[in-house]
Amino acid sequence: MDRNKQHRQVALMRQSLFDQGLLDEQFVQLEELQDEANPNFVEEVVTLFYRDSARLILNIDQALDKSPLDFAKLDSYMHQFKGSASSIGAKKVKSECTLFREYCKAGNGEGCKRTFQQLKKEYALLRKKVETYFQLARQVGPVETACRSK
Amino acid sequence: MELPSKINNNDKSIQQGISPSGSRDLISNRKFTALVVDSDPICQIIEKAILESQGVETQFVGSGIDALDLLASGANFDIIAIAWVLPMMNGVETTRRIRAIGNHSKILAVTACFDERKKQAFLDAGVDEFIEKPLTLEKVASIMREMKNG
Repeated sequence: MDRNKQHRQVALMRQSLFDQGLLDEQFVQLEELQDEANPNFVEEVVTLFYRDSARLILNIDQALDKSPLDFAKLDSYMHQFKGSASSIGAKKVKSECTLFREYCKAGNGEGCKRTFQQLKKEYALLRKKVETYFQLARQVGPVETACRSK
Repeated sequence: MELPSKINNNDKSIQQGISPSGSRDLISNRKFTALVVDSDPICQIIEKAILESQGVETQFVGSGIDALDLLASGANFDIIAIAWVLPMMNGVETTRRIRAIGNHSKILAVTACFDERKKQAFLDAGVDEFIEKPLTLEKVASIMREMKNG
């Protein structure tokens, strides 16, 4: 019974990530790619995303400190970042990327800086929430384990 | 022993484009191959996984130069998925050069941001289809159905 309750908790936690707009359908696509040969595919990809995108975040931060701003470079960095964010289903992060690029096109430096701050917040929030979710999911194990009869 | 000759017959049938059972729909059973050209490791992994889930044998490279080198070495691919942002030579120029060497693969432009200007640039360079990231299971399944039906 306890096990079932834990599984329900994991399922609710997962659903909340979608309900809060943090994740979109692309995350479900990644889950569909997970199988016995790659049981931790989603967690591995998301972990890699956070590891790899730290470099881009740093590049953008440094580029925003320069004067005058190189909007073409900023746009290019953000284009890359948006690509990987959208590939893992990071919905809010992706929206901020789109907004940032619009500010780049408009040559609006303040808009870029403001949006980037928000993007970093969403990025950090998503990381915290998915890490908690993955941790709980790992502890509880797959659903089949819970259903196995004694 | 039956097995080796069955395998040989299968190979011969495949070369002829007919099924071992005699029906002419084996083109649908042949192994398709793809090359993902993207400098983003997340996109490389995800796009490869999506293509492979549809039975497509997939490799990835991180630049247009690497893609051209691979093609020049004699490698052939049914599908080439190309990103916009690539080091040294962007996706449009990569596409142009791939077509210039006489390559007839189905080329998909897979890019993070939809932009009419970018789309047209890619189409002018010779891509067959323009897809906004993320690449989805549904999209790849649709492309495969189209290719298998000739």
